[in-house]
Amino acid sequence: MRSRVHGDRWTATGGVLATVLLLVSLAAGGSGVGRALAGEPGGFRLVVNAQSATEPLERAFVADAFLKKVTRWPDGEAIRAVDLRFDAPTRQEFSEQVLQRSPAAVRNYWQQRIFTGRGVPPPELASDEAVLAYVREHRGALGYVSARAETSSVKVLELR
Amino acid sequence: MGAEAVVIRATRVLPRLAFALLASWLALVWTSASHAQQNEAQGSPVEIHGFVSQGFILSTKNEYLAKSKRGSFEFSEAALNVTKTLTDELRVGFQIFAHDLGPIGNYRPQFDWYYLDYRPADWLGLRAGRLKVPFGLYNELNDIDVARVPVLLPQSIYPIDHREFLFAQAGAELYGNLELGGAGELEYRAYGGTLTSDLGLPPPPGLTPREVSVPYLYGGRLLWATPLDGLSAAASGQAVRFDAYYDFDPALRALLEQVALLPVGLSYPLPVQFRVTRWVASLEYSAHELDLAAEYSRWTGEFYSDAPLLFPGHTVNERYYVMASWRIAGWLSPGAYLSRYFVDVSQREGRAQYQDDLAATLRFDLNRHWLMKLEAHALRGTAALDNRELNALNRGVEQAELTRRWALFLLKMTAYF
Repeated sequence: MRSRVHGDRWTATGGVLATVLLLVSLAAGGSGVGRALAGEPGGFRLVVNAQSATEPLERAFVADAFLKKVTRWPDGEAIRAVDLRFDAPTRQEFSEQVLQRSPAAVRNYWQQRIFTGRGVPPPELASDEAVLAYVREHRGALGYVSARAETSSVKVLELR
Repeated sequence: MGAEAVVIRATRVLPRLAFALLASWLALVWTSASHAQQNEAQGSPVEIHGFVSQGFILSTKNEYLAKSKRGSFEFSEAALNVTKTLTDELRVGFQIFAHDLGPIGNYRPQFDWYYLDYRPADWLGLRAGRLKVPFGLYNELNDIDVARVPVLLPQSIYPIDHREFLFAQAGAELYGNLELGGAGELEYRAYGGTLTSDLGLPPPPGLTPREVSVPYLYGGRLLWATPLDGLSAAASGQAVRFDAYYDFDPALRALLEQVALLPVGLSYPLPVQFRVTRWVASLEYSAHELDLAAEYSRWTGEFYSDAPLLFPGHTVNERYYVMASWRIAGWLSPGAYLSRYFVDVSQREGRAQYQDDLAATLRFDLNRHWLMKLEAHALRGTAALDNRELNALNRGVEQAELTRRWALFLLKMTAYF
């Protein structure tokens, strides 16, 4: 009888703990909204190879290209998207505005793809200069850099 | 120590040794992972990724997945994958996976997936090899802790102890993405093949299955990304056939004939065919930091044999859940779901016929390579304890005799790169 009472207590604890975790989640979630939208935007520029014939791009196309749902430019050239490093402020801004997800959410998307064998993320480069060098060297490249970067060697695209 | 004891001890130790070696290998390649990514940017796209997970399971009243009432660490997973882009259209890759989940897995390394992937256009791709099965929203993620918030996905639709049957198939898959203009995007995946890994079908006592085979397995999934950002709907279906020949223990056979469950004069081994068809309808909203999902599924099992009373002809079970998760901060994601499972839609009464599962999770992303999860479940019903191996954990006690209300607690840590 004693062990049964003890077991009942544990079972009830499971229900209570599940409910508490749920409530904590909801309560904490409310305070998370402001944090998610916080941050001073510095701006970014979308860049492609100087020889690219690409015209202004739709946001959805760019998002699909970075998530590798779309892999080719309209002329058939392979898209070679390239990211800034995970903690770069410009990446945060690009991710929120273009991919409409935080870098952490995008990382989760790629973890799903990586471990199911369905793809790998774009390479991450350490700086604007590294992205610009990559874009200069690859005809199908698609990248973004901070608004203050010197972009005369590449083509800057408008994002619609 | 006798030779038999040495063999028994070796069979216990070797899988753990293999698991340890795999974990060590993961550690060794860890430092080269970032180098691999850097190489891709420079035109040599070799990617190496992996993870190691260790969990702890504690339950009340009923044993679940492992000897969990006293707490069990028999909840481990490790994987290492390598992919290489050969050309813009061609990729190859493989993943080695080892796990231990109570009586299942025992750290035996196996190919989780391997493929040759040819994608000449966004709307058309072809993969061949051993491939993850797209069923519902998350079937492919069922043993990948890092790719989701819950430790256990809703077990009504994604039972973790059925991985040999449900997770991957050997064959081919056609896939692609179709632009629908203002109507969003459609991803299609269609596959066909068979199951090649050790099915590990636990036979009922007194029965010995011979020549268990899977003549076919096919299915597909349509995933529609609606024009509303983040809202997707999907429909998946699958059909699979198992063929087996059963030998009966003479005493059991005589008993079954005596009670007319087994017709007299059958030839043995007895051929038995088991066909399963299943479908699931899915709805997902995933935008910014919020993920909502709901799925409804029915699985139909049909036996074909000369002993229809022993192998019941037709069972339809029902499975559904609703789930939510929210990334509050980069390091914290809570989630919760309610999952329900009915073994037989025509018979919903009795604790063995259903299982309700209310679960809540906290996922902590401690850094870019390390996460921890805490999860609690309040369960009602014992239907998910039907797997013969899991039932053995409860010392063969009938499901109807197991405790109706019980709880489950999980702690899991994963390191990945």
